[in-house]
Amino acid sequence: MGRAALVVGLLLYPFVDRAVGLQTVHAVSDGMIYVLLALGLNIVVGYAGLLDLGYAAFFAIGAYTMGLLNSPVLGSPLYGHPWSFWLCIWVAAAVSALLGLAIDAPTLRVRGDYLAIITLGFGEIIPVAIRNLGDITVEIGGWRPIERLNLTGGENGVNPVGRPYLPGVPFETDPVPWYFLILVIGAASLWAMNRLRDSRLGRAWMAIREDETAADCTGVNPVSTKLLAFALGASFSGFAGSIYAAKLQAITPGAFEFQVSIMLLCMVVLGGAGSLKGVVLGGMLITVFDRIVLSQSTFLVRWVGRTAGVQALASSDLTLWRWFFFGLGLVLVMLLRPQGLAGSRVSPVAAGADETDDPIVSEPSPSPRVEAVPGWLRERMAPGVAAPEAAPLLDVRGVTKRFGGVVALNEVDLVVPPGAIIGLIGPNGAGKTTFFNVVTGLTRPDGGRITFEGASLVGLRPNAIVARGIARTFQSIRLFPYMTVLENVLVGEHCRLAATVVGAVLRPPSVRAEESRARERGRALLAFVGLGGKEDDIARNLPYGDQRRLEIARALATEPRLLLLDEPTAGMNPRETEILTDLIGLLRRELSLSVLLIEHDMQVVMRISDRITVLDYGTRIAEATPAEIQRHPRVIEAYLGTGYEQELAARSSPR
Amino acid sequence: MTWWEVLVQQTINGLTRGAVFALIALGYTMVYGIIELINFAHGDVFMLGLFISLAWFTLLGVTTPLTGWQLVTLLPLVFLLTMLTTAALNVAIDRVAYRPLRRSTRLAPLITAIGVSFMLENAALLWMGPAPIAYPDVFPSVEILREWFGLDSAIFVTTKDVLVVCATVPLMLALHYFVTRTRWGKAMRATAQDRETAQAMGINVERTILVTFFVGGALAGAAGLIQGMYYNIGQWWMGYQAGLRAFTAAVLGGIGSMGGAALGGLVIGLLSAWSDQYISARWTNAIVFSILILVLVFRPHGLLGERAADKA
Repeated sequence: MGRAALVVGLLLYPFVDRAVGLQTVHAVSDGMIYVLLALGLNIVVGYAGLLDLGYAAFFAIGAYTMGLLNSPVLGSPLYGHPWSFWLCIWVAAAVSALLGLAIDAPTLRVRGDYLAIITLGFGEIIPVAIRNLGDITVEIGGWRPIERLNLTGGENGVNPVGRPYLPGVPFETDPVPWYFLILVIGAASLWAMNRLRDSRLGRAWMAIREDETAADCTGVNPVSTKLLAFALGASFSGFAGSIYAAKLQAITPGAFEFQVSIMLLCMVVLGGAGSLKGVVLGGMLITVFDRIVLSQSTFLVRWVGRTAGVQALASSDLTLWRWFFFGLGLVLVMLLRPQGLAGSRVSPVAAGADETDDPIVSEPSPSPRVEAVPGWLRERMAPGVAAPEAAPLLDVRGVTKRFGGVVALNEVDLVVPPGAIIGLIGPNGAGKTTFFNVVTGLTRPDGGRITFEGASLVGLRPNAIVARGIARTFQSIRLFPYMTVLENVLVGEHCRLAATVVGAVLRPPSVRAEESRARERGRALLAFVGLGGKEDDIARNLPYGDQRRLEIARALATEPRLLLLDEPTAGMNPRETEILTDLIGLLRRELSLSVLLIEHDMQVVMRISDRITVLDYGTRIAEATPAEIQRHPRVIEAYLGTGYEQELAARSSPR
Repeated sequence: MTWWEVLVQQTINGLTRGAVFALIALGYTMVYGIIELINFAHGDVFMLGLFISLAWFTLLGVTTPLTGWQLVTLLPLVFLLTMLTTAALNVAIDRVAYRPLRRSTRLAPLITAIGVSFMLENAALLWMGPAPIAYPDVFPSVEILREWFGLDSAIFVTTKDVLVVCATVPLMLALHYFVTRTRWGKAMRATAQDRETAQAMGINVERTILVTFFVGGALAGAAGLIQGMYYNIGQWWMGYQAGLRAFTAAVLGGIGSMGGAALGGLVIGLLSAWSDQYISARWTNAIVFSILILVLVFRPHGLLGERAADKA
């Protein structure tokens, strides 16, 4: 109902406007171009969580692509070939996307606030370049290879720019066709973005935004995911820029300065980053405020000033205050309503604002049942073939890692046979987590070999290692806190899904089938770990024990053959610990999943491990069965302690 | 002028320019060191420092070059008043716009910082108007080489260049003393390294942050005053440009490192002066920003900094 009314309203608006004589169609169409830009920026800032302060640069690139290809003005080799508008908008989008890739590719390893400053730097350089490339003279000694070459029109810009041509449509004289053109492009963009958001790619963006390291270790490639966000975001501004150039009929470098980037950021933040509805709302509000409210209220203030006889008010001009209000708006929104007006479930830019609340403690879910093991997981893992003499699944030889002068790992060997549970124990700081980081690709070893199913893992990025079949959990839980429980698991399936941008937008039957299968699998997996019925909860709201289980479910969703668990029972009560221990045993029995386990709870380790490796100061001091480890003198000295020996003796004496 | 005279002249220009950048950069680096915030509004505090010092001079009735005893009484007084005003302003900005977001992500206070920057710039625009403001020639300008030494040189060194050195060097030494030798400085260094541990050791972290903003604001005010006396001109948008160059200086030197900020300021000052001379003034901004980008991408811990890199 509401939607139909909206559509009718949008379609009727220009005619009502004309009938009443408001003459706002021009302003509204311009506003819609900015909304389109804000939607593109939302992919970068809202979805992928990358603060872009130079987004106007891509707007400029789009506008100048249109201007240079479609202007009848002569002057350079690029001018004088007025291409069709309809072709140019696609060229502009492609050029913007390519430059988006080229500009942002070197910045991907840089962290958030630095990235923001780098984008700002590019946002400054591009207008400077456009200004200066209008008059290039290179002089070396007395030789002038290039003299007064005009590539961009310089400070004067490009004027005029060719208009679109459609038979019988008066683009030259009437703002209404422009309105509809922009409306169609805007609606198509919204539709596409909505579909992208709920796809494999949208989830990957959000995962990167929430926790890049965890996303990498869950099989999401941060590099390609971020580049895709930049390229898509830039291509939208390419569209918007080219339409802007053709509509305005003139472009100058001044239209693409820092302020424009900030105004677009205002739109995204005001409406609620990450929410399409919010961005549209924020964009329209700011445009209306800028183009209509400020000028109208100036009249009001002047009238008040004249009647009250206050000269300062009578001659005031509120439009001069516009940037002041934008600044104030940014501050107020961030302070008072960081999630924005539309209030998506969380603001990506303000996430973590209230980290203090402790997870709720609740009754643990029942023990995992054999029959609950998801059928698809069984099929994927082909159980039962693990013979003890088979080649080792994971084979680590002589791995060394130094941090400055500290040797965190010193020539460590470790073998995980197929279907085995291997415990990794040792005092705090012994190098256990470093060992995990080396195996999963987070840390590059200084020496040694790591082979998994016969292939070396050294030098692979974490997401590539996940794709090979190694999944992990973290000592301090690292979920994607503001995504739902089901989305967390779906991110785990990311590397086993194949949908591309085109597929995610057009949703052919194969993509639809893949997506519904992925969701089915995710649900089955959640039911298996005891989180059935909580699929749509926000991950951070789960009780502690559930968060641990969700992290394991997310790891299982990557279809691993080896699971690395870093202190899975830390912080759990005895009952929860028991359930989890049962779960690990079940995974091995039913799926012949191999597990490498760091754990401080000796009862758990001794009960389920086939063999145990003990690290101390980065060196392996023992490798044996649990029973042997318990009596190993060096292990007792370094880790278990003499108390443990007596305890063991006391416990075994009645026998 | 011969080529080497041009080079020497531009080097002197670059060093004086760089000294001002360095003072601003110190404010960036101190705030970043302690709360990991790129205080985007800092350049605008510098710009307001220029206008505020102008207001103090006007209030004190100074419009012509200071002479004799005035130089040792009025000038330090204006320095003090300006620095106190901008320091208070900087503290107020932190209280209103950053402090409520301490527990938030890095990006939230960065966004409010941009908002504050816009507000300050446009407040200055409305206060002073869009046209460049003439700053009275309060500091006597004497050409040293010619008038004091009687040298017939094309190189132009004035008492104003000496002023820049005589004002910035003591300020930096005082800051160094403050940070390395006083209780407050020790609290700042501890808080910068690990806020939680510092708190656990009984350091009042919020008050330490306040002191940091206070000192940073005071330095920006001094820079504004020096800039005004040296160039005799002020504009509402100059804080954005100077701020970005100073931030580049802080990053180049290694953000969080005070020595780095000073060094980076001089380097950026020199490079921009040379670029104005040898390439073209209209490309200087692009060159400075290219340096910023290259440093951030390839050497994010800068020339002297080490800590920032592993705090990622």
